[in-house]
Amino acid sequence: MNEQNYILELKDVVKTFGGVTALAGVQFQLKKGEIHALMGENGAGKSTFIKVITGVHQPDSGIMLLEGERITPRNTMDSAKLGIAAIYQHVTAFPDLSVTENIFMGQEIKNKLGMYDWRQMNKRAKELIEPLSKEIDVTKPMGSLSVAAQQLVEIAKALSRDARILIMDEPTASLTANECEELYAIAERLRNEGVSIILISHRFEDMYRLATRVTVFRDAQYIGCWDVDKISNQKLIGAMVGRELDQMYPEKTAKIGKTVLKVENISKEGYFKNISFEVKKGEILALTGLVGAGRTEVCQTIFGIMNPDSGKITLEGQEIRVKSPVEAFKQGIGLLPENRQTQGLINELPIYQNVSSADMNHFAKAHMLDEKAEIQNAIELCQKISLKAKDISAPPSSLSGGNQQKVVFAKLLSMPLKVLILDEPTKGIDVGAKYSIYEIMNELASNGYAIIMVSSEMPEVLGMADRIVVMKSGHVTGEFNSGEVSQEMIMAASLGEQRKEAKA
Amino acid sequence: MKKIMGYRNIGLVFGLIGLLVLAAIITPSMFSVNAVISMLRNNAVYVFLAIGMMVVLVTGGIDLSIGATLALAGVACTSLMSSHGEIPTVVWVLLSLVIGMLCGAFNGFVVGYLKVVPMIATLGTMYIYRGLAFLLSGGQWWFPHQISESYQAWAAKRILGVPSILWISAIVFIIAAWFLNYRTSGRRIYAIGTNVESARVAGIKEARVRFLAFVISGALAGLAGMLFTSNYASCTYSIGDGYELQAVAICILGGVSITGGRGTVDGVLIGWLMMSVITQFISLLPGLSVWQKALQGAIIIIAVFINIAMARSSEKRFLKERGALL
Amino acid sequence: MAGENKATVRDLTVKEKFKLSKFLVRWEMMLIYILILINLILAVARPGLYFNIGTIQSIIQSGLDLSPMVMGMVFVLMLGDIDVSIASIMVLSGMTTGLLYQNGAPVVAAVLAGILTGAACGAFNGVLIGYVKMPAVIVTISTSMLFRGIVEIILDVNSLKNFPAFYNAIGWRNWGIFPISMVLYVIITVIFFFILHKSTFGRQLYIVGNNPTTATYSGIRVERVKLIVFILMGVMAGIGSIFFVGRMGGGLSSSMGTGYEMDVIAICVLGGVSTNGGKGKVYGPFISTFIMAFLLYTLGLIGVDANTRKIVTGIVLLIAVLIPSINRQLVADIRLKVLYKNNKNIEALNLKTAAEVKGLKAEIARLKKEGAASDKIRKLEEKIVSLQNTCKEKTAQMKAELAEDARRNKERFS
Repeated sequence: MNEQNYILELKDVVKTFGGVTALAGVQFQLKKGEIHALMGENGAGKSTFIKVITGVHQPDSGIMLLEGERITPRNTMDSAKLGIAAIYQHVTAFPDLSVTENIFMGQEIKNKLGMYDWRQMNKRAKELIEPLSKEIDVTKPMGSLSVAAQQLVEIAKALSRDARILIMDEPTASLTANECEELYAIAERLRNEGVSIILISHRFEDMYRLATRVTVFRDAQYIGCWDVDKISNQKLIGAMVGRELDQMYPEKTAKIGKTVLKVENISKEGYFKNISFEVKKGEILALTGLVGAGRTEVCQTIFGIMNPDSGKITLEGQEIRVKSPVEAFKQGIGLLPENRQTQGLINELPIYQNVSSADMNHFAKAHMLDEKAEIQNAIELCQKISLKAKDISAPPSSLSGGNQQKVVFAKLLSMPLKVLILDEPTKGIDVGAKYSIYEIMNELASNGYAIIMVSSEMPEVLGMADRIVVMKSGHVTGEFNSGEVSQEMIMAASLGEQRKEAKA
Repeated sequence: MKKIMGYRNIGLVFGLIGLLVLAAIITPSMFSVNAVISMLRNNAVYVFLAIGMMVVLVTGGIDLSIGATLALAGVACTSLMSSHGEIPTVVWVLLSLVIGMLCGAFNGFVVGYLKVVPMIATLGTMYIYRGLAFLLSGGQWWFPHQISESYQAWAAKRILGVPSILWISAIVFIIAAWFLNYRTSGRRIYAIGTNVESARVAGIKEARVRFLAFVISGALAGLAGMLFTSNYASCTYSIGDGYELQAVAICILGGVSITGGRGTVDGVLIGWLMMSVITQFISLLPGLSVWQKALQGAIIIIAVFINIAMARSSEKRFLKERGALL
Repeated sequence: MAGENKATVRDLTVKEKFKLSKFLVRWEMMLIYILILINLILAVARPGLYFNIGTIQSIIQSGLDLSPMVMGMVFVLMLGDIDVSIASIMVLSGMTTGLLYQNGAPVVAAVLAGILTGAACGAFNGVLIGYVKMPAVIVTISTSMLFRGIVEIILDVNSLKNFPAFYNAIGWRNWGIFPISMVLYVIITVIFFFILHKSTFGRQLYIVGNNPTTATYSGIRVERVKLIVFILMGVMAGIGSIFFVGRMGGGLSSSMGTGYEMDVIAICVLGGVSTNGGKGKVYGPFISTFIMAFLLYTLGLIGVDANTRKIVTGIVLLIAVLIPSINRQLVADIRLKVLYKNNKNIEALNLKTAAEVKGLKAEIARLKKEGAASDKIRKLEEKIVSLQNTCKEKTAQMKAELAEDARRNKERFS
């Protein structure tokens, strides 16, 4: 075995969930005492990769070597004992337990009688936290701290275990500029002390400031590894998004008409600020950006799940206030939710009941349902979108992902709507089925719907949309016409890259 | 001073003080030493039940069978004691603990390993234990003359002027505080309750912890059964009926979160004191003793309401914090 | 564009026809078998019983005093919520009627006021649960104390003895051969059947109970649905007070009916209503109401007294919740643990091989039927054997690897 000076090495790691491949034989090498950036789009496989390293998931195949020795951690306690620790963007610790207890979970300090030695633990915790932050009270519950402070606690936790490998997942995503600087300083100090760090970040600034090498994943695959100072921004973005646009998209024939929905300066505290865009009849508008940029929340606000703090929404020239999905449907706005399993379907009920669930009164006389009409209507709608199912009374759980999504489509089509908001309509759907979803979308556009499509998939955005709005951290950072934009331009906008260029 | 204000149950302490002041103004007779002792003594069994209930609530469950467990253990001890007077009474204390643990273990098995919803599982076992208590008692009542002095002494004997049932509650309180704060298995109960997913990922065995929680609550309920019969020197199969709800009520007053994760023994102690004072206070007001139940119900609703309102406002604060980032 | 796609219009009409074998093993049918079984036992134990219609009537009458609340509880459980305050609501509305009637109010007004009291209590629960979003268990535990507390305040230790005459009739009399309470219960059940299984509201209940998030996204006002269900529960508790007071011989005191909420929940669970919400039919609990009545009576006959019967209620409840959880998932979990050393990869390999073998066997059967050449069949059989062998080898190898990993882990971590 080639020893080299890799502290952690992964070879041909494969991990699948159900039928979905999350990691398709990826490689990774981490040198001792380096900060190594890991980049890729949403869904490229980064989070699964971390979870494999930390033992949350076990790989289907492939090997993991720690200083040349094979390891198979089964949970985070195992990996912690091996000196591997991870700090997540959304801290998933124990919010009701104290900072001290979170730090020492699984390796508590006990006295001779086997009792927890809180005094000792609090003292140690203080010693660990103090160099990172002077303001954290270690006896306070974890949940009462800010996100930044919680991350520092996680770092302290890693240090308490003499972590040799530290994984930071989007550590700066929810930090202020000052907090970022502090974090950089801490990361550098740790590196100087010999800790190897895997840094996952969408921010180029993080990478340039800290990392010496960068590995890129795309579509569950390993793309390559470069020295940071030898690769340009453009080339890196190319590696992240640079797939061949070989997938076919159905040709769009819809005529674009007048503006239907106009959103002006809507804001919601904590989610997004001053968002404006409009969508026309027969048009497909893509709303893209990274996960967590606030796209879904904007859609939910238009649909009435959330209420905006300020701003104006107009539908066909008339200002509307949508306070609930019921009103949204009445106004003619429909939403295909992001998660069809938890938000779109009722798996225990037959397909036809799912289809009619949004517009039951249509099939009711004096509140009594006419089940025959309901079934008939569902059959017609589902045939129109060529749903593949045993019959209309089968439960949606018996269908493939694509066909499940079609059921949710059929639900929306049973009503007279003007605007359709599709939140990640092809998420978790295999390639063949995606095509038929695209066909449905095009046909709907031809029929005069105004469509807003939220999507993280670059080719889909470019292949389907007439216009593209890019969001980052709750703001619109770019608006393009589909003919005049490249993958790289969109990626740059969703990384907020214009601002960083000056620095780089 | 800062340390005192930082105490997490400070709100509860203020509530208790307010209550005491109010009671002291309206019914000063409540605060003679004897009155206080008898008040505490009458409510002492709830200490055991409420602490046990708290342990289960912290894991995110609920144990409705503790009232019936109390009855089963109480009947078993009383009936055996009255027919076997020669056996030292400490045996009955141990027996009540064993019976309680067995009841709790069955609950824990059904909930932890068979994955039945705690509410329904313990509802079922509540019936079973209550029925067993009846079977064992044969419908009989036991009156003070049938209950030996030494048996009664477990609750009634005064040590330093304080009845021993209060000493025992104090010991249980201390052991519970020690176990829940200083032992690994005690802390695991909190870990499961605050975030099952994290706990699982961290390698904590969920089923085992749930099992343990029910065993603890069962054991305490069993002990409470023996002490109940000793304290009142009487027994029948229907004792402790509805006490489980009272125990939940005390926990809620004591700041225990019913969705799991949060709850402290000292909070429960304060909740217990509040409930005792309220009960006593009302019973002393002329013509108001019948208001007891209604007021207790209303107080719990208000307490939970405040709880939820506070959670919501902290959520808002969090969003504001995030808003500043944008 | 979609020309070739549209060429094949799929037949989506409901193909599954009524299947007797499936119908006969449904939960509700099981309940009927149990009911019949209990009656058979009764017939053996007391042969004379079935010649005396009066006994049967009194068995039914004795079991139906809580029947209206069963139907209300079906809806509450359907939402995934629970209501333990119903016994208190029942006593409170009984008291309202009793007091008004005693003080000379007309019968109709007194009874309506009682039912309205129930509705108001239900609305109080419903607002706190639906709109304030407090957990149903806590709200109803507290309100059960509150409502009964109000009864205690007003009645103190007194009891009410004046109730309209028809109360007694509902508890004790018959119409022809049918007990009045049973006729009323059938009517109530039919109404609830139509609401739950035929109306838009019933459909909304199923949707909310199965997935409240999807319900919101489908434009269903979840809060309002909850409020209505709890009001309905209150109304049924109000009507329940008529049955209950009648059965009690026209008397009411503040401590009556404690524990009834548990009996009602037990009947619902036995009737196949899931406490997780979204599952259950109206007729299941309808049948199980009678099962409980006959079961308790039978136990009484063989000398088991009223209190010991509680054990049976408890066991029945536990078994009823355990049966649905003994399903495929559990079996698969146990197999995973026992056969595959808790390793998903080994499981996947074995399942895949099993599926392939099954497919090949079906192929063989088909070939045999067609009378194909025997060497073809033999080839397939050989393929099966080789498949099974590779599977076994691989499994053994993986297990060995696992053992090796475990050993290494032990060394490292100890």
